[in-house]
This record gives sequence, C-alpha cells and structure tokens, in this order.
Amino acid sequence: MELVMSMAIIGGLGLFFAIVLAYAAQRFAVEEDPRVEMVIDLLPGANCGACGFSGCAAAAEKICCGEVPVDSCIPGGKAVCDSICEVLGVAAVASEGRKVAEIHCLGSRDVAPDKFEYQGVHDCKAAMMYSGGFKACSYGCLGLGTCVEVCPFDALSMGANGLPQVDTEKCTGCGVCAKACPRGVIHIVSADRKAKYVPCNSHDRGKTVRQVCEVGCIACRACVRACPNEAITMEDNLAVINRDKCDDCGKCVEVCKRGIIKDVGKVLVVA
Amino acid sequence: MNLLALIFVAILANNIVLSQFLGICPYLGLSRKLETSVGMGLAVVFVMTMSAIVTWIIDLFLLQPFSLEYLRTIAFILIIAGLVQFVEMVLKKTNPALFRALGIYLPLITTNCTILGVAILNVQSQHNIVETIVYSIATGVGFTLAMVLMAGIRERLELATMSSYLKGAAVTLVSAGILSLAFMGFKGMVAL
Amino acid sequence: MSTLAQEFSKGIFKENPTFRLLLGMCPTLAITTTAFFGFGMGVSVLAVLLCSNIVISAVRNLIPDKVRMPAYILIIAAFVSATDMLLNAYVPDLHKALGIFIPLIVVNCIIMGRAEAFARKNNVVRSILDALGMGVGVTISLTLVGIIRELFGAGSIFGFNIMGSAYEPMMLLASPPGAFITLGILLGLCNFAFKRLGIE
Repeated sequence: MELVMSMAIIGGLGLFFAIVLAYAAQRFAVEEDPRVEMVIDLLPGANCGACGFSGCAAAAEKICCGEVPVDSCIPGGKAVCDSICEVLGVAAVASEGRKVAEIHCLGSRDVAPDKFEYQGVHDCKAAMMYSGGFKACSYGCLGLGTCVEVCPFDALSMGANGLPQVDTEKCTGCGVCAKACPRGVIHIVSADRKAKYVPCNSHDRGKTVRQVCEVGCIACRACVRACPNEAITMEDNLAVINRDKCDDCGKCVEVCKRGIIKDVGKVLVVA
Repeated sequence: MNLLALIFVAILANNIVLSQFLGICPYLGLSRKLETSVGMGLAVVFVMTMSAIVTWIIDLFLLQPFSLEYLRTIAFILIIAGLVQFVEMVLKKTNPALFRALGIYLPLITTNCTILGVAILNVQSQHNIVETIVYSIATGVGFTLAMVLMAGIRERLELATMSSYLKGAAVTLVSAGILSLAFMGFKGMVAL
Repeated sequence: MSTLAQEFSKGIFKENPTFRLLLGMCPTLAITTTAFFGFGMGVSVLAVLLCSNIVISAVRNLIPDKVRMPAYILIIAAFVSATDMLLNAYVPDLHKALGIFIPLIVVNCIIMGRAEAFARKNNVVRSILDALGMGVGVTISLTLVGIIRELFGAGSIFGFNIMGSAYEPMMLLASPPGAFITLGILLGLCNFAFKRLGIE
C-alpha cells in the first residue's frame, strides 16, 4: 500500500508539473525575434558598453526593435553597421566614421611634479579620492593606468614617460577609457582628423599652470591672435582648435611659448 | 517564537549565508558586482517564498497524511524545479521588464541550496503557514543583505594590492569570514 | 582521449572539485567542524556521485535533451534519499550532525556538474572512474579542512586528543567564521602549491 502511495504521489507530482509546464510553454510562449541572434553574431562581442547597454546582446535587442539607431555600435564602426542594415533590411545610414581616443596631457613626471608622494592603491580613481590626486596640476594625467586596464581592445599602453599612449590601429573609439578617466584627460575624436591640437586639459589660470607644469597651456592668447583663420578660441583658460577651420598652417606652433601645440601625427606615434 | 524574533534571527543572528552556509556558490559567484548581487537577491526572495508556500502545502496535505516524510527531498526538488521553470515562462510573457531584471538568475536558482534548504527547514521546524511565509522572506532578505555587503567589499578588493595566490575566491572567503564574525555579534541578542 | 588512470586522478589533483573548481562549497564550510564529519560527508557525496554517474551514463542515450535536467535531478534525489535513510539507520550520530546537508546533496553542484559535464557524454566505465576520482577528491578536501578545524578548534583529530590537556582550543575555528577563514587560507596555499608544482 505504502509503495503504491509513494509511487502515486511522486508520479502524480511529476505528471502534474509536466502537464502544467507543457501548457504554460504554449500559453505563455514568447515569440523571439530571430534577427536578434543574427545581430548578436555581427556585433564585435567585446561587451565594452560604449553603446550604453550592458552588453552586445542587450544592444542587439534594442537595435532590432528599432529603439536605437543601427549605428549604435561605436567600435564596430561602418562595417558592422552595414552588415546589420543588411540583416534588418533597412537602408544603410551614413555613419560618422571611425573614432579614436586622444590623450590631452603632456605633463609627464619630469615636467609636471607631484604635490605629495602617493603610496595607495595603484588606480587613478582611488588616487583621486585622496585629496583630489597627487599631481600638482589638478587637471593632468595621474599616470596610474586605469585607462590601460579598462581598454577592452588593448589599444592603450603606458609609455616610458608615464603617460598613456593610444595605438590608433587597435583603438575603436569606444570611449570606455574616457569614461574611466577620473580627470577627463582622454577625448574621443574622429580618426581621420588632421591639423593641430592642444594636448592640455588644464582650465587653471596661467599663473597657476606655470607653477605646476612646464608644458601646460597658460592661456596667453598668442595662438588666438596668430591664427589667420580664427580657428583658435580660448575656452575657460584653455586654447581649443576648431578642426574644421584649421588649415594646418603652423603659425600657432611658432608663437606658442610653451610649445604645447602639436601635430596630431607627431604626438600619437607610439614611442 | 514570535514573528519579530523570527525575522531578526533569519536576517541577522542566523544569517543563511554567513552562519548556516547555504547558498555559498551564488554568494561567491555573483557577488562581484553590486548590480548582479541585488538582482540575484531579489530573485531568491521571490522564488524562495513561492516555493516555501507550495512545498509547505504539499507536505501538509500529501506527504504527512500518508507518512511519506522520506519522500520530502525528492518531492520538494521536483516542485522547485517545476515551479522555477513555470515562473520563468509566466514572467517572460506577462512582465518582460521584471523578467529582464531577474530572468538570468532564475535557472541558477533551481540548483541553489537556499531554496531547498529553506523549504526543508520550514517543514522540519514545524512552522505554520504565516511563519513559513515570514521566515522565507526574512531569509531571502538576509541572503540579499549578505550579497550586497560582500559586493561592496569585493568592489574595493579589486583595487587592493595582494599576493596573486590570494586573489579571487581565497580573499573573498577570508573577507566572508570576517563578515561572518561581525554577524556573530547578533547572536547574543536573542535566545535561539 | 585521456587514459583511464587520468580519468581517476584528475578529480584528486588537477580538477579537485573543492580547491580547484570551487564546487559544493556549502557542505565544505558547514559540516567540517571535525575530521570525522568531513570524512562522512565526503563519503556520502562519493556514494551518491558514483550511483548517479553510473545510472546517468547508462541511460544517457534514452533521455531526450529537453528534459535531461529534471531527469538528472530525479535520479540524484532518489539516491540522496537512500543515502539519507542508510545514514540514519547505521550512523545516527553522523546523520544528526550532517542534518539538513544530507538532503542538500541533491543540489550539490559537484554531482549535477559531473552529470552534465561528464556522465552525459561518456560510457559507464569512464563515468565510474570519474565519479571515484571526484568523490575521493571531495573526501580528501573535506577531511583536510575538518582535520585543521578540529585540531585547532578542539585540540584533537578524529576524536583523539593530540594537543594535550593544556591546550586552550581556538573557538574561532570551530565557529562559522573559522570555516570561511580556514578555507580561504587553504585555497591560497593550494594556488601557491599548484603554481610551484607547475600544474595549471
């Protein structure tokens, strides 16, 4: 009797759940977009998060239901965008083109000294929590390599001068490093940019910059006056070059007392 | 034991992870990020309460009358596995937002010993239905609390410099030990 | 294809479930207050693992893929219930000490993991060796943790007094935090030893 009862109860429970699950599988079936899988395959799969979603799978879902544009994947660039367009059957959109990271600081240890010796955790964000960072310049690169750590594509490396360097071949412009940098030293710019740029991030007044860094922009406006195309403006004590107006004449480089205006190519070359 | 004491014991004094050692696997695996630990915690509260209620009913009306208590393990795991699958399907259809938040944790929960453990503990300590519900929710909250605390600690541990042999699970276990030591302080506050 | 001897030995060293794969941590921490409990738990896991691996590898071609998980759980649960009753009948002291962790062998990741990762794809002989290796690996690890905690927490090993009567037991190691800390340090030592021996 007991044998029958135990068999009946376990069997009955099993049968009951089998029936309920079989019914539920039909009743609550959710149609999944088969294109999502295809788009996931097309995406780079680095889960870098540059699109603003938690990973490539989440982004693929959003792309398929049209909530975000097809060119949301920044690292994938135009090639991925085009193949996604093919899968989804929408007209290809003009993408903005490839982007890369650019380091806006030249203040290596020998030209921009520290204000105290830091012996804490080897991480820029942690160092920032300790009285705003150990570097005397409160805008410059701390050089502990948090950006190098977070780069999903191994495009960043620490140079001999203690500043990060971008390998423009590997860099996809995903912007993960720019988000990770607590001092905002890294800017994401168009990869095919030409002309000059100002690798300084300091918004301090000229006097302060002079005290903490040998190469920082002191906002003397010499370049603004020298530029024949009015391409340079002074924004919050930092010279900013408008790359659309600049014709690469080089007059600003001649007048800059700090030698801070550089050619894009010359600074980005990995030493 | 009154309900308030039951809640206190379940969350703090006899925390399911730190003093009863249930659910260590997800505790070590999913406490790396604050986000995932909260998600997993909520999913556990939800499933734990539901399965505790269902197993309690089955035990009272099916197993006990026929004195088949020895079938508890097999019947309970059957119920939990079926229930989790069912909840997953229903959630996916009726509440996609909630499914997205909890969905990835649901399959992990079937083989999570907290769920089966709490179901068995409820029956063994002869809780009535109200106590069962309260105990399950409180235990789930205790699990979430332990997860969130650990995630906070681990996010900082990531940055710490230490011997490479200790990195990862080893240092997590030692930190959990210290956390458990802190939770032991609550033991003196209630007579168990 | 690895040799049969390797099938057995991998569970003890290279893929030791407790120290290398970090599976089945709950009983490892909870019941290792004495060496004997650790040993008992290890043997129980070994027995269940052996039986379930044999059955699952024998019927692996009969179970449809879709329902394989529930089927495995049922098979495992049946053996766990049997172990539960056997322990209760023959070693009631151990049964009482292991308590809720006996039924919880069902959801022990080692057993489900071996079913899913090994027994499902290999024949009965290999599955037996795999189960024996893994089971012995678990038993050794649990007993080791048990020995350390019993030695320092109570001054004895397997109930035999080692430290002498003058020894003041370290209560910490017998209590829950001690379990976490002992295992954490053991894991670190294991990592160190494996690195030194060149086993990755």
